[in-house]
Amino acid sequence: MRFHWLLPLFFLLACRPVMKKEMSGPELDFKLSEEWIYATELSGLKYNNEVITRPPGFEQLVMQLQLPEQGGLSFKKHCVYYVVPYKEKAGSLKVQELKNDSNCPDVSGDFPVFVSVQGVDQFKVSFNSFKLTMDFTLGKKPQKIEIPLPNIEAGLIHEKYRPLKEKSLVPGLKFLRLNEDTFDFASNKNLGKLSDRFSRGSAIRCHQVNKECETVGENRCDECRYGWYEVVDFQCAQGGSKFCGQNHCGEKNEPACPRGVKVVDPEDAGICQSDLEPVLNADKILVCQ
Amino acid sequence: MKNFKRFIVPVLVCAGILAGLGIFFYGQQKEGTNPDRFIQEKAALSRLIQNSSEIHRLWIEGEESREWGLIKAECLKHLGITEKFDESLLRCNPVLLQCHALFSKNLKYRMVGLEEFDNLPYRYLTKSNSSYRKLREVGVAMTIEDLQSKKRLDIFLEDQCQEVYLEERAYAYGEPVDIKDGDDFRFDNFNRHIYLDSHLVTNAEVNDWIRFGNDDFTRGLKEKTGNDLFLPATTLTYSQMENFCSFKGKQIMLAHFFDAATFLPMDLNEKIPKRNLRSPYYWTKKSSEYKSDCALIYSKDCLKKKPYQLNSIDPSWAGIRDSMGGVFEAFRNPIDPESNLKASSFYFDSKSSWHKLGFRAGWNGEGFDLRNFDFRGLNPFVAVDSFQVGFRCMREVMQ
Repeated sequence: MRFHWLLPLFFLLACRPVMKKEMSGPELDFKLSEEWIYATELSGLKYNNEVITRPPGFEQLVMQLQLPEQGGLSFKKHCVYYVVPYKEKAGSLKVQELKNDSNCPDVSGDFPVFVSVQGVDQFKVSFNSFKLTMDFTLGKKPQKIEIPLPNIEAGLIHEKYRPLKEKSLVPGLKFLRLNEDTFDFASNKNLGKLSDRFSRGSAIRCHQVNKECETVGENRCDECRYGWYEVVDFQCAQGGSKFCGQNHCGEKNEPACPRGVKVVDPEDAGICQSDLEPVLNADKILVCQ
Repeated sequence: MKNFKRFIVPVLVCAGILAGLGIFFYGQQKEGTNPDRFIQEKAALSRLIQNSSEIHRLWIEGEESREWGLIKAECLKHLGITEKFDESLLRCNPVLLQCHALFSKNLKYRMVGLEEFDNLPYRYLTKSNSSYRKLREVGVAMTIEDLQSKKRLDIFLEDQCQEVYLEERAYAYGEPVDIKDGDDFRFDNFNRHIYLDSHLVTNAEVNDWIRFGNDDFTRGLKEKTGNDLFLPATTLTYSQMENFCSFKGKQIMLAHFFDAATFLPMDLNEKIPKRNLRSPYYWTKKSSEYKSDCALIYSKDCLKKKPYQLNSIDPSWAGIRDSMGGVFEAFRNPIDPESNLKASSFYFDSKSSWHKLGFRAGWNGEGFDLRNFDFRGLNPFVAVDSFQVGFRCMREVMQ
């Protein structure tokens, strides 16, 4: 009985989870906005601005977002799951975080939960004009969350005499997650060195096209550290294979520069210095020799 | 009395603990889930997003922004600029943001200065100095802080507004060739998205390379200040020029693409003409219409009339500035490597035969005195210790 005074303390600690309130609408709004403004991809959005009513009582993947980790060197995924309320089963919204860039499973798994709220109903989500909008009721109160997604692009616009423009919320503006790792020269993962040369065999091929004009493997030219250049190989309408690095096309033992597809015969499709001739190498690339 | 003490002491202790824990949990709960706090946090985030749009507007508008009108005098004084320059160079230029951070008043945010770079409020970000994934463009990264909440946001402004898209069509390289002398050297850029720098690379741009590029490639280069900031960078060797362009993921201008962007097409509607007839002057289709005009070619004669500045003449049909006159311009010429220099410049008077598109001299790319150049016997009649050689970059974009 000497410790009978500790009883209220145990009682209080036991009650703590009960005392902890559900996440409020404003908290959910802020937590998602603060994270999702950096989203670089939004996919799997099956319903656009319609209330999700089926299947009742079951969890479903509503959408997935690709997000940069702090520093921007890798990506993670946010998987958004919704349970349509059914009888006694409350509706819920759950966001799970995948620490890699793989696709979200159809139902939530054993992954860290970023946010989870119960009592969600009348949930609808839309993505228009690069703004994500979620409308729903939370504990019968209407909620609307609007999040701009400036990092999402929907293609490029090429207009004569004009600079490049992308289709995005504010063309030319992006939000980043910088830290010291972002600027670490030593850990630069982009492809190629400045000294790489096709003629020395050190240039990295970032995009390969085969004789059927199909892309073989992944196009990684966006990851070239010092830009990329195209070579003349199979005369494909969409262009030839590409290599990372400084362009020395036309020079001795370097690839011929593309001369175009409409004003010269295929045998003249490569440009070499006037004292060199374009010759096909083993990979069917025109090389100046 | 003893019993009372035995009873009251634990009760008081218990009550004290309960009250303390109650206050602690209540406070923690209030801190953690108080909706007002999140409403304020979201408002701060929204303000930062709004302010980033304003900074982006300033970035794009440059000299046409209202902010430039307000800070111009202080900015020029701070930078030590006393001579006129083409203020359109302020578009997509971090120098303007630097002045905005220093002199614009009543801002609701601040641009966070970088101690390691003399408090510059930005870094130039490229794929060569950063592994940040999925950055398609190069540009300026900066951190802004909301003054009210101290919340911060990192933003990125893409550096693409000083480029022009080269229309997909058939072009020709070099000086016009008579049919009897053989075929013209024709090429096309169909299915290719080529972007050309509209102006020569400035010293301010090279400063950013020196600050944020790999030291291995910029060793020995000194940052320029004052009036030099908006003048072309003319003291880099050819390989340094190549490396500068590579820093930005580009390549030094190819001679035949410079020709494409400067020879005026006879018929803009005809994308593949039978022959690429062309005049040696970018402003006219007629070879006979040469004019000695400083608004068309900044030649030696113009030095007496107005000081040289970048973008001193009208743009070519494709939007290329300084395609004739001014400083020399170096190219990479994959067809005739020895013809890699636009000699049309202020080193030759307006009557010089160098003032023709497609007619090029040679430069060994290593030095700047006469012996490093090949003027094909048409040497300039000037006593110059060091010729000024500018350059610009170009790139291909994938769709």
